[in-house]
Formats: sequence, structure tokens, C-alpha cells
Amino acid sequence: MESFVNAIVSGLISGSLYAVMALGLTIIYGISRVFNFGHGVVALIGAYIAWAILQNLVFSTATYIVGIVVSMVFLSGFGYLLYLLTIGPLLRKPGWEISTVLFMLGLGIMLENIILQIFGPRIKSLPIFVSDHFRLFGVRVNWHDLVILVLVILIVIALNYFFKATKTGQAMRAVSQSVEGANVVGININWIFGLTFGLAFAVTGFSGVMLGTKYYLDPHIGWDWMVIGFVIVCFGGLGSVSGAILAALILGIIEALSIVYFGSVWVWPIWFVIFVIILLVRPQGILGGRS
Amino acid sequence: MLTAMNKLINKKHYNYFLVLAVIVGLAVYPYAGATSYMLHLFILFFIWAVVAVYWNLLLGYYGIFSLGNVAFMAIGGYTSAILSITYDIPPMITILLGGIAACLLVTLFLGLPALRLSGIYIALLSLVFALTIPSVLTLTRDFSGGGVGLHSIPGFLPGLERFQNYYFCMVFFLFAMFIKHRIIHSKAGLAFVALRDSEDFASTLGVNRYYEKLKVFAISSFMTGIAGGFYVHSQGDITPSLLGIEPFLLGVAMIELGGVGTFLGPVIGSAAIVFGNEFLRLAGTLRLAILGGLICFVILFYPGGLMQFFSQLGDYYNKIINYFRK
Amino acid sequence: MLDVKGVDSYYANLHVLEQISFNVEKGEKVALFGPNGHGKSTLLKTICGLHPAKRGSVIFEGQDITSSPAHKIVEMGIAYIPEERYLFTDMTVYENLLMGAYTPKAKGKFQENLSYVYEIFPRLKERKNQITSTLSGGESRMVAVARGLMSEPTLLLVDEPSIGLSPSMRKVVFQSLESVNREKNITILIVEQEIRDALKLSERIYMLKKGQIIFERTAEEADVKEIEKAYF
Repeated sequence: MESFVNAIVSGLISGSLYAVMALGLTIIYGISRVFNFGHGVVALIGAYIAWAILQNLVFSTATYIVGIVVSMVFLSGFGYLLYLLTIGPLLRKPGWEISTVLFMLGLGIMLENIILQIFGPRIKSLPIFVSDHFRLFGVRVNWHDLVILVLVILIVIALNYFFKATKTGQAMRAVSQSVEGANVVGININWIFGLTFGLAFAVTGFSGVMLGTKYYLDPHIGWDWMVIGFVIVCFGGLGSVSGAILAALILGIIEALSIVYFGSVWVWPIWFVIFVIILLVRPQGILGGRS
Repeated sequence: MLTAMNKLINKKHYNYFLVLAVIVGLAVYPYAGATSYMLHLFILFFIWAVVAVYWNLLLGYYGIFSLGNVAFMAIGGYTSAILSITYDIPPMITILLGGIAACLLVTLFLGLPALRLSGIYIALLSLVFALTIPSVLTLTRDFSGGGVGLHSIPGFLPGLERFQNYYFCMVFFLFAMFIKHRIIHSKAGLAFVALRDSEDFASTLGVNRYYEKLKVFAISSFMTGIAGGFYVHSQGDITPSLLGIEPFLLGVAMIELGGVGTFLGPVIGSAAIVFGNEFLRLAGTLRLAILGGLICFVILFYPGGLMQFFSQLGDYYNKIINYFRK
Repeated sequence: MLDVKGVDSYYANLHVLEQISFNVEKGEKVALFGPNGHGKSTLLKTICGLHPAKRGSVIFEGQDITSSPAHKIVEMGIAYIPEERYLFTDMTVYENLLMGAYTPKAKGKFQENLSYVYEIFPRLKERKNQITSTLSGGESRMVAVARGLMSEPTLLLVDEPSIGLSPSMRKVVFQSLESVNREKNITILIVEQEIRDALKLSERIYMLKKGQIIFERTAEEADVKEIEKAYF
């Protein structure tokens, strides 16, 4: 029984991590209809930048925060420029659905390889925020996991506020609901798309840092994270933020349970079967409107 | 004299003549002083060209966004290898069985769920599918060889030499190209290509479109699975690395480099990649970075790939001819 | 105010607009008639920057806007009311109107325009907190017009406002266009398939057929029968 409850708790934690990771994907797709096949690499870059900064500075909470902030700022600029210089032009040509995907795949692999060159193949890890654990109703909970959960909740609240109450956030929401309508009211679509990529990359980078503290870090793990993000986003409904969060939690729990009862080698086949079932039964996801 | 030459360049005759010349050239090549190494490369080229061509059939002609074609090849190859090793069935039969296995698995698990939906789902599902297979291989390692792979896979017939393998693969390649040609120029194929970019017409054809897509998906996975069979029996081994990032990227590069949606594009692309892979090897661990960068470059600046490049050359050639006519 | 000269427009290889030339004076109400699929919407979309013109020029208040991006054209004072409406479906009526006042110029006049819009469309004021995807056809058409008005336009391009509307709804919409022109001196270029209401509203009309303007009439000269015949 204890292992079951532990699995649930552990699943909730990993689920919340996956949720933040899937957020970036959802934001980009919801607003620009581009499916970011370089998502994993973005999270990876976020994690590695933070790691690199920590290596070179005296470790403390302050430097950790500096590392994370630098990583997010860098990625937002990178996302914005990447859109302006490459994705934007591709979107204006026919066949953009395929070309953007293949482009991001190629770019992702290229960047992953460059990370390999710079940082080497050996596994690294990001130090956890807080050590030690406590017991809640007989279940062991790590302080670090709690911090992660709190951070995730904060991010979701912040994003929610951004989209509801700021002019730019509202414009992004408008674009996601009707690009033509946005054009008609004078919104600069290109600029909004650029900002979208910048924002999404920053959020994704942050999720990469958090994932890097909980799991290990090597240049190839971006793929696993990315595919998990894909399944979550489809399960939650393409373009739905709340759907993605809900889906992430559910799938996180399912994954944790499978590891406990079946062993980790079954994880991938189970993800795949889940994916197929979703597509067969409810392709628009649990909360999505589009399919 | 130029006018006489131009008369000869009557499009239709020119094409048949060219095709014949290429076939004869390929057939004669092993006797024209080809080294064993070059034959090996050509064999790889024939096989990968089929994979690329049928991937392009999905991507470029029918707008089916499949990302898993290298995995189809692996399924066909593994099936064929396992059957021929474990049950001693002659490879010529297991290759066929491999193709059927690939076709069935793929059409059932990928085609049925995802083809009804918009393009991105097939891409996602096929990617996840491809990433799942190594786990399946590990689970079934008793007869699939797991991480170690399978070795000492029997050849097409007992005691074949490399240049005979060459002919097997060459015939397969030519046959596969012929089949694709028939598909593209069939009534259904032509209609589909014409409709490819027109969403409005497509939705009125609703159901038919789905079945047509399913059909071409089945054919493509079948041929690709057979290519996998040819791969294992000409190379003698197969490992899960075939399902890794590198072969996948190489496949993508072949299609993009050659030109998506063109008939000869993937052939040229796979030739470039297979023969150019030697240069890539020199780059050591930077291989993937260069490949990725190449793909990005082509997509951004030369979306029509080498076919676009060649047709531009052709335009220059015409300009020069016209200049001299005056 | 608006000068269109020799505009050619294509959809892929289809030549949709051929050498279109016409003009609209400030404060005028001009109607453009024509059968479906002959380029009416494309013409409006080309003017407001949603569709590129292969040849020709579009001059608005002395400025060449032929290759200006759509959002700049909105800032300059042209509001396009699309036939498809293109409302923000998960937002309320109020939020749609709020988005309509996106440009800085419009933002400054937000409260003023909002009260005006609520005055001519009292229905919208009632439903201001309703999500627009739940509105009826006529109501969403009103939101589309209202949203356009929120951008402080000097020229309204209205695309087939009466499609799918009941006669009473149609009356409300056309009356609103009439008021807007009278009270705020907003110039109106309306594209319509339905002849009578638009003819009543306008001062001048053009006839568009197969991508070409085949004749021009003032409202007095215009004869409904002649126009109807031109449709076939």
C-alpha cells in the first residue's frame, strides 16, 4: 500500500514537472499553430546554461537564481530571434506544416550535438534546491519536490495573469482564437508570434532546469522529455493550457504506477499505447476544442 | 548542329533514352571495374533510395506526414532476420513476410488511428512509435537480439558474393521505382496530387480521401519493410542503432536534399547522402551537427533541394542555347 | 480618399482581379455588387492588406498602402468587417470590443467608442458578458461591425453584412451603417450580393463581374433590373 501511495505522490510531482514542460509546447501551438519539434533541446539548453553558470560561480541560492534567470533571458531572446529569422519566413511559404517540423528537428539535433561537444557526454546533474525530506501521513515527501510543486503553481498563476490581464497577453489569446480577427483589429501578428516563441522558450528552459534537478542531465535526454510533452499536449487537447496541466498530472501518475508495478522498460510501450488510445477514442483530448 | 541536337531533345524520347542508359549503366557497372567497396555503397544506395522514395510518396505527394519510415524498414528487417534465423525459412520468403509484417503493424497502429486526423498527429504518433521499438526489442531480446542485435543473417541465397547481392538490390530498386511511377500516374494518384493543396475540395471528398491515404500508407510501409529485408540479408547484421537518431536524420536529409515531392529527388538525395556519408564520417562526433545544419540550410534556402538546383541549371542551359541561336 | 488603380490579384494561378480601378470619396457610401466568387471579398482583402496585389496600387488619403502590412493599415484608419466575422470565439462581446480598440489611437477613444457602439447596438450592451461563440448569426455580425468601429476608422470596408440575416436584423445593420456615416462621417465601402438594401444605403455603385468592374452608376441612375441582369 505504501508503495502505491508513494507512486501516486511521485507521479504528481513528476506530473507537475511535465506540465510546465508541456506548457511551452502548448503556448507555441495554441498561438501560432507551429508544433515545436525542437522542444526537448530548448529544455536541455535551459538546464545546461544553468549548470554551466553554477560550475563557474560559488554555489549558493543567489547564484542558482542568477543561473536560472540568465538561462531564461537567453532563451527568450533566442526564441524571439529564431522565430524572426527562420520560422517566420517558413510560415509564409506553402507547406509550412512540414517544413517547420523538419527544420526544428534538424536544428534540435544540431544543437544537441553542439551541446555534446561543449559539455561532453557524461551525465551531469543539477543540485537540488533543498535537501531532506519529511513525512506526511506516513508518506515520504522531499522538500525539493515541494519547492518544485510551489514553483510550478506560481508559474501557472503568473502565466494566467499574463494572458488575462496584460494587453500583450490578451493579444496573444486573440491570435490563438482567430488570426484573421487579430489582423483585422490591428495586431502585428509577426511580432506576437516572435514574443510567443520567446515566452515559450523561457518557460521551457525553466522546466528544463527543474527536470535537470530531479532527473539526470545528458545531451540526449531532451528527446524523452519532448515526446512526453507531445503525448501530454495531445492528451490534454492541442492548445489548451488547463488540459495540458490536467493531462500531465494524470499521465505522471500512470507512469509512476507503471514503473512500480511493471518496471521501467515498459514505460515507452505504455506511453505509446496510451497515445494510440487517445487518438482512437478522443483525439481532441480531454479539454481541447480542436483536433 | 545545335538545332539538330535540339530536335533529338524531344522530351519524351529523351526520357526513355535516359532511363534505358541508366539501367544499362547500372547493370554493367560491376563488370566495369567497380571495387567491392563501391558495390557495397551502391547496395546501400539502392536500399535507402527505396526507403526515401516511398517516404517521399507519403510526404511529398499525398501529404501524409509520416516520420517513422526508417522504423518501418527496421520492422521489416528484423522480422525477416528473426524468421530466417530462428525458423530457417529461406530469405526470399522472409523478406516478403517482413514487408507484410511492417505493413500490417504500421497500418493498424499508425494508419488507422491517425490518418483521420490532421497531419501533425501522424507525425507525432510515428515518432513515438519509432522510439518505442527499441524497448520492444529489449523486452523480446531472446529472439530479437536486444541491444546486441542479430548477426550472421543468411544472404538471399546460400553462398552469394557481393556483386550478386548488388543485382538483387538493383532489380528491387528498379522495380520499386516502377511501382511508384504507376501509383503516381494512376487516376487516383493524379487526382490526389491535384487536390493535395486544396483543403476545400478535400473536405468534400472526406471518406474517399481517408481510404486512399490508408492504401498508399499500406503500400509505402510494405515496400519499406521489404527494403528492410533486403538490408538485413545483404548486410548480414542488424542492431537497434538502425532506429536511432542518425539513420532517421539521414533519411530526412535524403528527402530534403533531393527535393520533396519530386520523383527523382529522393533518389538523388539518397545518392548524395550514401556516397557523401564517407565525408561525414571524417567529421567524427560532429556528424550529426553537420547533418542537422545541412537540413536546416536546405529547408531555409533551397526548399526544392537538388532538383531545384538542377532545374535552375537547366534554365541556364536553355538561356545559353537561346543566346547562341541569335 | 481611397484610390484603387489597376490592381491585379491572384489566388495561386487563378487571376481573380483584373485591372481594377475605382475610387471612393471621403464621406461617401459606395456599394460594390457582383455574383459570388467573382472577386468582391478578394478586392476588400487586397485593399486592407490581407491579400497581396500582384500589380497596381491602392492609395489611401494620399499614401500608397499597396504593400503595407495589415496592422499598419488598421492604424491608418481602415477597418475591414469580414463576411466570416472572425470573432474571438472564446471571448465575451466586451472583450472582443476591447480587442477592437487595440491600436494606440483607438485605445485613447475606447470609452467614447464603446458608449457609441452600445447606443447603436443596444442588443450588444445586453449581452456584453456573453461568449461570442454562443451568439446568433445576426448578433455576431453586429459584434463584427462594432469591433471594427472600435478601431477609430475613417473608412469601413464591409463585406456582405446581410448574409444569413433575417430581414429585421438586416435593417438594424444597415441602419447602423447609415448612422455611422451620418454622425461620424465615416466613409463606407460595402460589398454585397443582396441588391436592394445596399442600393438604398449608397450614393454610388460599381458592378464587379469575373474580376472586372463592368460599370459604375450613381444611386439615382442605378436600376435594380440592370444590376440583376448583369449577374447573369
